[in-house]
Amino acid sequence: MEDLILELKSEIIKALNLEEISPNDIGDDDPLFGDGLGLDSIDALELIVLMEKNYGIKLTDPSQGRDIFRSVRIMAEYIQANRTK
Amino acid sequence: MISWMGDSIVSPLGFTSEENYQAAKGQRSAVALHSCEGLAEPYHAAIIDKDALARAFEGRCESPKGLTPLEQAAILSIKLAAEGSGICLDSSKTLFVFSSTKGNIELLDAPAGSYEREKLYLWHTAALIARWFGNPNEPIVVSNACVSGACAQIVAMRMIEAGRYETAVVTGADMASRFVVSGFQSLKALAAGQCRPFDVNRSGLNLGEAAATIIYRKHNGSTESSSQISLLAGSIRNDANHISGPSRTAEGAFLALNDILVHAAKEDIAFVCAHGTATPYNDRMETIALRRAGLDGIPTNSLKGCFGHTLGAAGTLESIISVWALREGIALGTCGFEVEDPDCALPVSANNIAANGSYFLKMLSGFGGSNAALLFSKP
Amino acid sequence: MLSIKQYSYISPKHACSLPPKAKIACAEGVDLLNLYRSLGLDYPKFFKMDVLSKLGILAAELLLAGEERGEAEAMEDRSIACFNRSASLDADIAYAKTIQPQDFYPSPSLFVYTLPSIVTGEIAIRHRLRGETSFYVTREWDAEFVVETVRQIFAVGASRSVVAAWLECEEDRFEAFMMLVGDDGDGLKFSTDIANSLITDLRLH
Repeated sequence: MEDLILELKSEIIKALNLEEISPNDIGDDDPLFGDGLGLDSIDALELIVLMEKNYGIKLTDPSQGRDIFRSVRIMAEYIQANRTK
Repeated sequence: MISWMGDSIVSPLGFTSEENYQAAKGQRSAVALHSCEGLAEPYHAAIIDKDALARAFEGRCESPKGLTPLEQAAILSIKLAAEGSGICLDSSKTLFVFSSTKGNIELLDAPAGSYEREKLYLWHTAALIARWFGNPNEPIVVSNACVSGACAQIVAMRMIEAGRYETAVVTGADMASRFVVSGFQSLKALAAGQCRPFDVNRSGLNLGEAAATIIYRKHNGSTESSSQISLLAGSIRNDANHISGPSRTAEGAFLALNDILVHAAKEDIAFVCAHGTATPYNDRMETIALRRAGLDGIPTNSLKGCFGHTLGAAGTLESIISVWALREGIALGTCGFEVEDPDCALPVSANNIAANGSYFLKMLSGFGGSNAALLFSKP
Repeated sequence: MLSIKQYSYISPKHACSLPPKAKIACAEGVDLLNLYRSLGLDYPKFFKMDVLSKLGILAAELLLAGEERGEAEAMEDRSIACFNRSASLDADIAYAKTIQPQDFYPSPSLFVYTLPSIVTGEIAIRHRLRGETSFYVTREWDAEFVVETVRQIFAVGASRSVVAAWLECEEDRFEAFMMLVGDDGDGLKFSTDIANSLITDLRLH
């Protein structure tokens, strides 16, 4: 799980072009949206692409993302339970 | 102020303004389920039958060989708009204005080398169309996202009013290519079925394909000019809020409405033809703009349920349909609308209603935070 | 009378803002990321932008950074008119790479930049400008059309200043020439000849 969390942090940084943020800057339980990383609705959609591309998880309803993308840990738990690749 | 001389629409609902207007008046929708090789999921959209287009083009113009469907549709719409208008398309006093968001972008799917690379450039498409009619001027290309078709009419008005040209041929055209459809799918912006503008159950938009041309001439104060529809004013305003989401307070759309309202008495506005894409955010934003401008008591419609969102063609297409309705004194119903949304408390109706008044307003909004409003009048 | 109050230029060769302002670096051998850093910008959204928007944001920063403006209020009387040759072709090609049939993962964040006018929105957001924003595509730099278009924006009466820019990028080439045009007669005369001679000098550098 810790490996997946770390991997996920660098994947998020890459996918969302968070140029000046390092994996250490993102706490495992920090909220991804809201003030923290300054992410917006397009970033949420880009995370949906990341889930499908890297882990074979298809989220059809963008509102599912709201629950899954609460923190990196919640995302990692969801991926572990649902990944197809 | 400029005078309306002619118009034509090429869409899945017909290849003339008359056919398209009658379809819209009968609440007919061109939206249907399509699938496309190279797309993960099927989608609902209003798609032109390309074989029928090529046949119509051949019948009215010449061989469509070497012309993309977008170019065929644009040329056909100009040809039909100009017929009977008495306008010389090949005159140096005639300006061509072209509005498109993506032009021939579908060519990116074709093998490199199978087409002239310049066809990917919007100025090339515009020049090809103007040259087809023997026009000697460099055409103007406006690419201002989904408000392009309003901006193109505004530019035509300014160029004519500045005395640079006598006449302007304003054409909007866009196709629902794999490029555009996949992009809107990735934004989760497409409706699962037919779009429902202003309806409480709206869930997204449908894309549409069209080319629509309006011909304008200088308003010369003659009785002939005075007996025509006029474009009185237009305004473009930015929300300065977000590149892909509208302002929560409808800042840009409100300012644009405010700018043009100085030219009309509110009580004489027959109807508002909203952008009405049927995305949750857009329709609510427009409601807020209309409320802030004191226009939320005026019959409001959206034509997206009939034609889909035709992107760079939406501004000209929806202006044409609305002009035809203004002439008849009716506000067209909104195809796809059933149940009012408390957040969109506007006089939207599923059916056509009588609408007295000499003016109508056309609203458009787009990515990049741009908003536009146009004011038309009948004599 | 309309006048050019300030102008900025960016190409791979150099970047500058004229007349010179204390805060502005004049750089040689320009890379957009380095230029962002040397301007001391703190605008994380920059990294998400396509090249056209990055170019527009940096040119606008060079052009407007020295202005004294209240922090909060938006300007309703400043408009933006941008022009180029390739529209958003660079961003189009980047997005198209994400929809290849054998590797189909359409990227929403790349797709939103496949409209050239997005850069006008990015500049409007960054500088809180609620005037008119529009984007025109021309075969090449066309000073006469730029000057005429800007004059007509002023003629409407709602704008007291216009940010007018040529913003072109294709593959590894890029060029931004941005002018702040005002109606108070302060600065260089805003004309086709002067716009042409400015860009010619800047290109030769």
